[in-house]
Amino acid sequence: MKKFKPGNKIVMGLLILWGLIQIFPIYWMLSFSLKSNAEIFGENVIGLPKEWLWENYQSALTVGNMGLYFMNSVIVTGGTILLTAIIAIMATYALKRMIWRGRGTANSIFMLGLTVPIHAAILPVFVILRNLKMTNSYQALILPYTAFALAMAILICGSFMENIPRELEEAACIDGSSIYGIFFKIILPLMKPALSTISIFTFLQAWNELMFAVIFISDSKYRTLSVGIQTLTGSYTTKWGPIGAALVIATFPTIVLYCFMSRKIQESMVAGAIKG
Amino acid sequence: MEKVMKNKMAIAVFLIPAVVLFTGIIIIPILMSGYYSLLKWDGVTEGTFIGLQNYIELFTSKSAGFTKTLGNAVLLAVLSVCIQLPISLLLALVLGKGVKFEKAFVAVFFIPVIIATVVIGQLWMKIYNPEYGLINVFLRAVGLEDWTRAWLGDQKTALFAVFVPILWQYVGYHMLLMYAGIKSISPELREAAKIDGAKEFQIARYVTIPMLKPVLKVSTIFAVTGSLKAFDLIYVLTNGGPAHASEVPATLMVSMIFGRNRYGFGSTIAICIIFLCFFFSMLIGRIFKTEVE
Amino acid sequence: MKKKLVALILSMAMVASLTAGCGGSGSTTESSADTAKEEVTQAESGSDTEQITLTLWSIATESDAFASAYAQAIADYEAEHPNVKIVHETFENESYKTKIKSAIAANELPDIFFTWGGGFSQPFVNAGKILPLEDYYGNYEDLVSRATLANITYDDTIYGCGLACPINGIFYNKKIFDEQGLEIPKTGEELKEVCRKLIDAGITPFGISVKDSWVLAQLHDALTVKSAGPEKTAAAVTKQGQSYNDPDFVASAQFIKDLEEMGAFLDGAAGLSNDEASQQFYGGNVAMYSTGSWMAGSLQTDPENPEDFDYMPVPVLNSANAALTDFTGGPSDTLVASASTQYPDIAGEAVFELAKGISKYAYLSGAAIPSFKVDYDDSEVNSLTRKLVENANNATSFTLWFDTLMEAEDAGEYLALLQELYVGNLTPEEFARAMDEQLSK
Repeated sequence: MKKFKPGNKIVMGLLILWGLIQIFPIYWMLSFSLKSNAEIFGENVIGLPKEWLWENYQSALTVGNMGLYFMNSVIVTGGTILLTAIIAIMATYALKRMIWRGRGTANSIFMLGLTVPIHAAILPVFVILRNLKMTNSYQALILPYTAFALAMAILICGSFMENIPRELEEAACIDGSSIYGIFFKIILPLMKPALSTISIFTFLQAWNELMFAVIFISDSKYRTLSVGIQTLTGSYTTKWGPIGAALVIATFPTIVLYCFMSRKIQESMVAGAIKG
Repeated sequence: MEKVMKNKMAIAVFLIPAVVLFTGIIIIPILMSGYYSLLKWDGVTEGTFIGLQNYIELFTSKSAGFTKTLGNAVLLAVLSVCIQLPISLLLALVLGKGVKFEKAFVAVFFIPVIIATVVIGQLWMKIYNPEYGLINVFLRAVGLEDWTRAWLGDQKTALFAVFVPILWQYVGYHMLLMYAGIKSISPELREAAKIDGAKEFQIARYVTIPMLKPVLKVSTIFAVTGSLKAFDLIYVLTNGGPAHASEVPATLMVSMIFGRNRYGFGSTIAICIIFLCFFFSMLIGRIFKTEVE
Repeated sequence: MKKKLVALILSMAMVASLTAGCGGSGSTTESSADTAKEEVTQAESGSDTEQITLTLWSIATESDAFASAYAQAIADYEAEHPNVKIVHETFENESYKTKIKSAIAANELPDIFFTWGGGFSQPFVNAGKILPLEDYYGNYEDLVSRATLANITYDDTIYGCGLACPINGIFYNKKIFDEQGLEIPKTGEELKEVCRKLIDAGITPFGISVKDSWVLAQLHDALTVKSAGPEKTAAAVTKQGQSYNDPDFVASAQFIKDLEEMGAFLDGAAGLSNDEASQQFYGGNVAMYSTGSWMAGSLQTDPENPEDFDYMPVPVLNSANAALTDFTGGPSDTLVASASTQYPDIAGEAVFELAKGISKYAYLSGAAIPSFKVDYDDSEVNSLTRKLVENANNATSFTLWFDTLMEAEDAGEYLALLQELYVGNLTPEEFARAMDEQLSK
């Protein structure tokens, strides 16, 4: 691969600068998680903490109960990703490759999912969940999150599926494979890159989501992380240090996970490209 | 082959889970919102049917200021497409063609997307703070004291002050989409173009970008609909203030429904947002389709 | 019709509280109410030996000033009622409003929950979702007066019990005042003079948040009462025929404008949250902060030197209409029981029991002015809180904060208009006219 010679250093410099700008929030989060309110709000906004308040972490873990909420978020988000991926790939295949009347309309209807502002749906969905007696449970969040993630997942799958040559399916057909055979043996394996992309974007939607999590779940044993962080805010005053600690606890595993996944994503994408 | 592809049973099997979920959580609530938008209702007691009055009030009432919020949302959409996407594309191209530490950069650039809105919001509130915020401190240090403002508190600057973090946070999001697209373009095409004597810039323009069309379409749709629906960061930073300066449709909707108990009116806003997003998605899809052909 | 009754009761209560006050003086005699209570408890727990669980929702999250008060109150209650267990779930303030409204609409309510009185809970009562508590009040009549419960009384029926009796005022940095040789202002003019002196000395007079517009409202509500007087103010705000487009109301709006133009407010307040603004006060960067008495609680823990801080009532703008002892505030934080609870008798009584406990423990920890009579040892309470209780006891009237007193729709518009006034989009006259328009709808 060729690289431009003179511009190289400049490009690298700019990239590093942009990288620093992107990392700044992490550094800031780390530093304020160890500070007191006074430092955060005026005395020492960006520097390293003058007093390292490690008890903020203790506070977040014990009183804040972050461990439990973290697990709940993992369960809810994991469930959402799994469900979304399965349902979306199946639906995309039917929409894009199979032949039937009205599939264009059906596609447009699914795209409607992109347009709905989540807050408008709160009360109707809540009423529905209540009638199905599903409030205060993991399903109460997994199902709505999946529904909202479907539109985007189908869109992404669609893009990826377009890159799969029809010859492969035709060949399998000629070999006498059933539709399910084609789906499981040919399409699914080739959709791996899409899986990673879907996972990331669904994860983002579900992990930080707040409104539904606040309203649909009242029992704190099912509470998710975003709600947990919010409840650290007192009604008239807030100690931001422990919140920072909670945020660090919440974000770090995510970042680490992402770093690992990104290698895998890139691998599977390259692999997909070579096969295609 | 055609017969296999027309297998009704299989189609049903593949589609049903999606359809059930979708109808229950998205379609039905949209219909319910539509019905609510025709009511004067506080969400708790009995509502009264008032037909299209909410819609009329929405577009004519000055105190609701809906048309202004629409303008703000459209402005954000335009900025997203004209500033944010090109930056993402540039980054994706540069990284896509191969640099040292490529994987590390991709990971790092994506980080703001993963960070909770609360953090980004609080961080930028501190950056914008008139007394000790980074921006004003920096301006004072370089002698540009006159340029300092109460960024989030001044009606003239609040809107743009709010847009910056939104655009900044999601550059990595679009960049990743495009980067994935670039990586999936067969390297032979690049090699072929190079053998033909093409320079980097030309490769980008004639090979890479055209092949990225599907991804660009997706990115544009997300950027626009995301802007029309934007809520979280704005809510945290200014809650639509000061005095509606940074109000967008979604913040107005939430304040109407939950702040003022005007469930019917809030639903009207929701329906408008839905309609607009739908309209733009179709429009963008059309634009990209004709280009491909 | 209902609104008029509520408003009428509220205004009568205002006058009645001339004598009632909140918190009461330290009387140590046990009232007959206590023995009567014993009997009821016996009867109920005698018949229900099965284990009952009541769910309670509130905004007393772990870092909230009331958190320990709730915990202690619950512990006391469970000790006295061994067959009842209370499961307490807490939520953040702002999202709680959304949550409770959704829960009411979808009928997913706990047995007992926290809410705000006045216009906030009015729709809930109208929809029949809240349990009337007249039957259970008898045992507590001597401990908490009807006047204190005025804000949660609709149609002559008590629907809940107030937890505390906060009042508004101006907290100030004594050290700065002493250093600048400033006297406590008692009139509007004196306050402006104090501000001028502070500005000349390079100190920002007021910390305030306009982004969290309720903070601005704290100051504005108080100034309005001190300008137009409590009866007139309440009548206008609760739509009882008093127009808001009136010189007395324009005066308070004008006063805020004057202060703003003078530069008396924290720079960039329109973009600062309450947290950020109050930090400036704790840090000694601004001299005054107008908010509710709950700040006394944080003043014990947040600043470096709590002894530097003190309290004064908001000065009077028009002494023909109001006095220093006319306060804004009064019980708004309330516990109520859901109409659909499975155990109305137990829940109904628990509301009063828990409120009594919370009132006591919150007071003892300095976080609040008690709503119940103080019949226990309160010598440990810090001096700032004591001063607040004294002020509350000597109050001649209480006017609830406008954004709670009004109906939700009006409250929302009011807060929005306040912002417009502050940033200069509306003149004080326009503000008054717009308020009048909204309130006449």
